[in-house]
Amino acid sequence: MTVKKKWTVIPGFLALAAAATLLSAYSGASTSQGLRVEQPVKFVHAPHVAKAGMNCLYCHSAANKSPDPGNASVQTCMGCHLIVKAGSAEIKKVAAYYNKGQPIPWNRVHKVPEYVHFPHFRHVNAGVTCQTCHGEIQKQGAQGPDTNYVPVQQAVSLNMGWCVNCHVNGYKPVEGAKAAGIPVTPAIEAMPIKKARYDCAVCHY
Amino acid sequence: MSTETGTGVKRRDFLKILGATGATTAVVGCSSEKVGKLIPYVSSPDNTVPGVSQYYATTCRECASSCGVLAEVRDGRPIKLEGNPEHPVSRGAICATGLSAVQGLYNPDRFRSPMVREGGALKATTWAKAYELLAQKLGEVKSKGTASRAVFINQHETGTFPGFLDQWLAANGMPAHLSVDPAAPAATIAANQKAYGAAWPALDFSAAKLIVSFGADFLDGWGHPVAQQLDWADARAQLDKAPQLVYIGARRSLTGLNADQWIAAKPGSEMALCAALSGQGTVAAAAEASGVAAATIEALAAAVKKAGNGLMAICGVTTADAVECGAMVAEMNKKAGSVGVTIKPASGHAGYAGLSSYAELAQAVQRMGNGDVSVAFVRHANPAYTMPKSAGFAAAFAKVPFKVSFSSMPDETTALCDLVLPDNHWLESWGDAVSAAGQISLQQPTLEPVFDTKATADVLIELAKKDQAMAAKYPAADFRAWYMSKFPGGATAFTTALTKATVAGAPLVAASSKGSAAGASPAPAMASTTGDFFVVVYPSPTLRDGRGANKPWLQELPDPVTKLAWQSWVEIHPQTFKKLGLTEGQHLTVQTAAGKITAPAYRYMGVRPDTVAIALGQGHTAYGRFAQNVGVNAFDLVPHGWDAAGGLTLTASKGTVTVSKDVSQLVTTEGSARQHGRGIGQAMTLAALMGGEEGGEHEHNIPGLPSQEFQPGLKSPVAADAQGEFADSKAKDLGMYNPEHSSGMEHRRWAMTIDLARCTGCSACVTACYSENNIPTVGASYQGRALSPSTWDERPGANIIKGREMAWIRLERYYEGNENTENEFSADFDTRFVPMMCQHCGNAPCEPVCPVYATYHSPDGLNVQVYNRCVGTRYCSNNCPYKVRYFNWFGYGEPERKQYAWPEPMHWSLNPDVTVRGKGVMEKCTFCVQRIREAEHRAKAEGRSVKADEFTTACAQACPSRAIVFGDAADASWSVSKLAYDRRAYHVFEELNTYTAVVYLKKVSYPAPASPAKG
Repeated sequence: MTVKKKWTVIPGFLALAAAATLLSAYSGASTSQGLRVEQPVKFVHAPHVAKAGMNCLYCHSAANKSPDPGNASVQTCMGCHLIVKAGSAEIKKVAAYYNKGQPIPWNRVHKVPEYVHFPHFRHVNAGVTCQTCHGEIQKQGAQGPDTNYVPVQQAVSLNMGWCVNCHVNGYKPVEGAKAAGIPVTPAIEAMPIKKARYDCAVCHY
Repeated sequence: MSTETGTGVKRRDFLKILGATGATTAVVGCSSEKVGKLIPYVSSPDNTVPGVSQYYATTCRECASSCGVLAEVRDGRPIKLEGNPEHPVSRGAICATGLSAVQGLYNPDRFRSPMVREGGALKATTWAKAYELLAQKLGEVKSKGTASRAVFINQHETGTFPGFLDQWLAANGMPAHLSVDPAAPAATIAANQKAYGAAWPALDFSAAKLIVSFGADFLDGWGHPVAQQLDWADARAQLDKAPQLVYIGARRSLTGLNADQWIAAKPGSEMALCAALSGQGTVAAAAEASGVAAATIEALAAAVKKAGNGLMAICGVTTADAVECGAMVAEMNKKAGSVGVTIKPASGHAGYAGLSSYAELAQAVQRMGNGDVSVAFVRHANPAYTMPKSAGFAAAFAKVPFKVSFSSMPDETTALCDLVLPDNHWLESWGDAVSAAGQISLQQPTLEPVFDTKATADVLIELAKKDQAMAAKYPAADFRAWYMSKFPGGATAFTTALTKATVAGAPLVAASSKGSAAGASPAPAMASTTGDFFVVVYPSPTLRDGRGANKPWLQELPDPVTKLAWQSWVEIHPQTFKKLGLTEGQHLTVQTAAGKITAPAYRYMGVRPDTVAIALGQGHTAYGRFAQNVGVNAFDLVPHGWDAAGGLTLTASKGTVTVSKDVSQLVTTEGSARQHGRGIGQAMTLAALMGGEEGGEHEHNIPGLPSQEFQPGLKSPVAADAQGEFADSKAKDLGMYNPEHSSGMEHRRWAMTIDLARCTGCSACVTACYSENNIPTVGASYQGRALSPSTWDERPGANIIKGREMAWIRLERYYEGNENTENEFSADFDTRFVPMMCQHCGNAPCEPVCPVYATYHSPDGLNVQVYNRCVGTRYCSNNCPYKVRYFNWFGYGEPERKQYAWPEPMHWSLNPDVTVRGKGVMEKCTFCVQRIREAEHRAKAEGRSVKADEFTTACAQACPSRAIVFGDAADASWSVSKLAYDRRAYHVFEELNTYTAVVYLKKVSYPAPASPAKG
């Protein structure tokens, strides 16, 4: 009797397991992919990149020379916005920070854990496009801060498996170019796949 | 619970089912949606790249040596100090005290604003109110005409500030300041001045054949520690031409442990010995006075004669006749013709220029007690702690109507003051110092002040501006403007000179000359005191006169000699220990005519059986949380008296020892002081080395010799030895262990050599490692642990007693010989210092036992610990023969936990390149992998490969003995690849076939220079 009876609890556990699996799939498992946070200023990348034709390095000036990409100082913003769009509501917020001598407290979107060291410059200098990890950032806020505004969001999972996939199988310049919206030229097509070191202590220390 | 009833689910089934569901639910728990901030600059400073360190050359002010340092500044905050390779004094090296300066800068107990006494306690105030109060009080003093009765006590420093201060005082009608340094060897300075015409001649160890040290602890902090250690290590590294050192003293200090012979003379008998050596006294009288065998004295006299002008006799005794003794020792050098050869008065250390004597301070205190002092100023000096109780400082100071402190750290003296105007830390200040004669060493701020503090020089200018009579004399806006207007060539020349660290010249304003005031109330001669024991009091090599006690790195750093931390102790000879029937750690009360202290007994065979020794530095009552309740103040044992130069006589007294019933566990990091035949620290005789024996005898006696020589472990690819199972299988993918792999990692073999002939045991490497690798200190009393739900273990060092220290490098100290020490006294024993860190074994015992592959061998030869994989089974530590793995028992990096090791703002000193390890994680030496990666990044960015000796580990960089060399052993162009195949090279526990990447070079032992048997 007992033998039969004990299996009656199984459906209960199975239901719990199924619920957990669903929940885990729904939340994106162990990733914060898709994370988006309201920012103190509704910053829009698209007008800066697509319209003004600015290079990423104009604001993220250390991305090709430091582990830390850097972010525009408030003074850098005001360098143009003292005149450009000075009347807009969002720029007035920036100006207010600048006049108070305070930094803009941006919320961090892309973050790897503390035990991971991600040197931006190694990746940027190897030719990995920013969009490979940051998604179509050049299109963010294409309609301005007031229309269909979506703040910067975490484009990829940033899981270790995602990192290692590229390190082991290699970065394909063609795909990087496509992601960045750069026309795929024969020269890019001819570029070899770039593999990287995948020893644990390359990133974890 | 019965398995027969209920649902009938058996425990095993339950676990099986739970396992399946648990695995699914666990995945959900990993997601972390905590949002952090990303704060940019308001306006970026020029020439800075976020995330890249900048190095600012400045001058260390932790002691009078004034070494040149480079402050590593990351995003506006200094995170580490390194020696400045361009600086003529420190030459790229740095000591533990200097390294710890960042913990003084970021000390959570520093004054955060000006303070004023209100209702009996010091309360925070504003600068405006503080200025107002001080200006008012100064006005009162001046209008009463009592300005000439002011006293300004400054911690001794050289450079322009002392002169600037004296000018300001003179403008106010006040006498020149007192420049006090309780750790300065006043008697030696006076004797040197008289004999050589220089306060501190350069000691040329390489030119010496025989060094006779009469208590001169040149490796412990006496004089110019870093410069002397660099020179000493270079001299000893000459092996067959190395000078021999004879150490004379009742206690074998760190310098004594580095000596080839210890002559254990009674304290106060050094002069009699010197007289016998120089023919001014008889050997019999010296033997009688010192308790040293006549034959040994005769042998030493013969050795001195034989050394000719290669003699270097130095004296650092602190007895009542210290100046006379120093003069007689100097005469020995003159007679031998070694002045100008081994002792070079023309060059040397000038950091003691303008030092005031203890006697001058004592006189000022006497005037305070008589009510003759109108206003007193104190800056960084701490006489309430450093003056013996019998000096009656506190009572005398209380009689001064208004007392002002400029100290940046609360201490026993500021606790007695009425107004505190906290000075900037030296890392926040402009200035200069004199270290080598004729050179000034420049100092610049490395960050904005951490707290609401102001440089004292700026405060003095501000006060002058408030006084109509003085304002005209101080037109400059602040000290920096004043300084640049006086500096030859101005600010431009200053900036240019900064890159070279020093510039020829003198301080911009000279300090008023100090009158020496000895005379009345000299210390009593040793013979006139009573008691069964000689009481030796000595400055701690790390805490010095107590200044270091507020820095947890220095508290946690085991004393180089005793290996004790976070406490005071009484050193007593094992024979006496047995005679008194003591147990380890039993409390002893030592009493002299001046006072008494009670501290646990520590058995040390390096003190005479009729002597007890106690280190200075502990026993603070108001010096911040890290110094609180730690040990006792040994100044209490020192009589309020002085030698002929007015210097405090630390070792002047006999005393009694009474045994208490109390016993406390010693806070030690040492397992055993003996090697038990394990051959950890090995040595070979000079004869064996010169005879060409290959490495001499291996000292271990554990059966089972290695089946292979050690070289393959360093030379061959990792895959072939450590990953041997893969090497044979061509079918398997070797991945990055494949030498053909495009990464080329397999071609590197990171390795280290440690030369035990150079290592002095100073432990600077240990502190450098703490600083570089974010190692938590665990011993502060607030970091204790729960003994029960209601009681908390608040003993300082409680975690260390439990074996929970985290030092990735352990400076092991072993004694050889003199085994029967409990029953007889012998001065004849050898000491081995062995820096022990992860050996990065090619065949590591820790690796196969890890159930989660958290530790493994990397293709470039590192034994890697992956923190995020580690689940804390501690199997690896159990299997490590070297015991170099450390476990995080608590969340030392979590601010909300009681054990938090970096209370705000101390966490500003954390190195952002290194993970702060979490609770339950194993950690260990990484060979500074973050520096390896940084060098690789830099090389890649510049389109080249890493150059030979391009970078090194933090320990090797700091080492003032240059004993540690790091590099790629697989590449012949690196220094390490030559040293690893030296004839003295050996691996610790070679017989275990671990193929370590750390290679030790054997210490070279020399016969005793004054051995009667040898004649």
